[in-house]
Amino acid sequence: MTRATAASPVPVGDPDIADVRAAQIDRAAFGALYRRYVERVYGYCFYLLGDHHDAEDATERTFLAALGAIDRFRDEGATFRAWLFRIAHNELANSLRQRTRRRTIALDAYAEPMTAADPASLLEVADDAHRLRHAVSQLSTERRQVIVLRFVDGLSAREIGAVLGRSDGAVRVLQHRALRDLAEILDSHP
Amino acid sequence: MSQRPSTAERLDRALDALLSGQRAAASAAAFDATLRPMVSLGADVRAALPMPPVAPRFEARLGTRLAEMAEPRDPLAWARRHPGRLIVTGAVGSAAVGVGITAFAVWRSGRRATTPAHRLLQR
Repeated sequence: MTRATAASPVPVGDPDIADVRAAQIDRAAFGALYRRYVERVYGYCFYLLGDHHDAEDATERTFLAALGAIDRFRDEGATFRAWLFRIAHNELANSLRQRTRRRTIALDAYAEPMTAADPASLLEVADDAHRLRHAVSQLSTERRQVIVLRFVDGLSAREIGAVLGRSDGAVRVLQHRALRDLAEILDSHP
Repeated sequence: MSQRPSTAERLDRALDALLSGQRAAASAAAFDATLRPMVSLGADVRAALPMPPVAPRFEARLGTRLAEMAEPRDPLAWARRHPGRLIVTGAVGSAAVGVGITAFAVWRSGRRATTPAHRLLQR
């Protein structure tokens, strides 16, 4: 089973529906969905919680809840991945509520592996990425959710709407404002 | 008369194209000057937020847990795992039923001896 890459094209229909039907008949078939989405759900949890252990806990709770409720999934507008991220969203909301203070360190601390190239340009690229991650961590939770779901997980505005319980139009506006806020944060900290 | 899409809608379309890997289309979609920097920023955000790697141990552990949870429940699994306990449970259960039946028989015979009809026959 190939793992979906970040920010894949917006699907026409629900590409997971055959696997979902299989899992509803035989729950052992849920493994294919798990392998396909574990990285994405983890990525969403990590970028929102900013901590690997908390992200693992939230990811675990999400998949256990999804497997427990897979029989109740109906193909009625929202895709399976929107449904799955909705569960993750609810788990994150619980985790964030339980927190006494907001952590923003780990987003900045995450560094992607560098490839062989000119060291000076690599440093510059790494510094830009660090600034951007820091700027993303300054956004409000809802705007950060939109940015992560859109650019890390590759969900469409409609799917993000299903996750957050907002209309497509409201998500597009949130996305626009989030990018505008990011630009302002980056301009204010050159 | 068709309404012109809002800035947020046009930006969303441009980002759809960007996320689908059609960078040229994204640039074309961001035809007005106000959108171009936002689409460019979107590309930068995408590059700056890579998918964080999942720890292999965590992934394997959760995969195993889900597989266990997905297994159909077997009512005889407990008996197969602990055959000795099954024998003990059976023996204790049988003994309890035997004691119950004996106690009922004793109580019933004692009660019959004291009924008025029984006393009449004794006279």
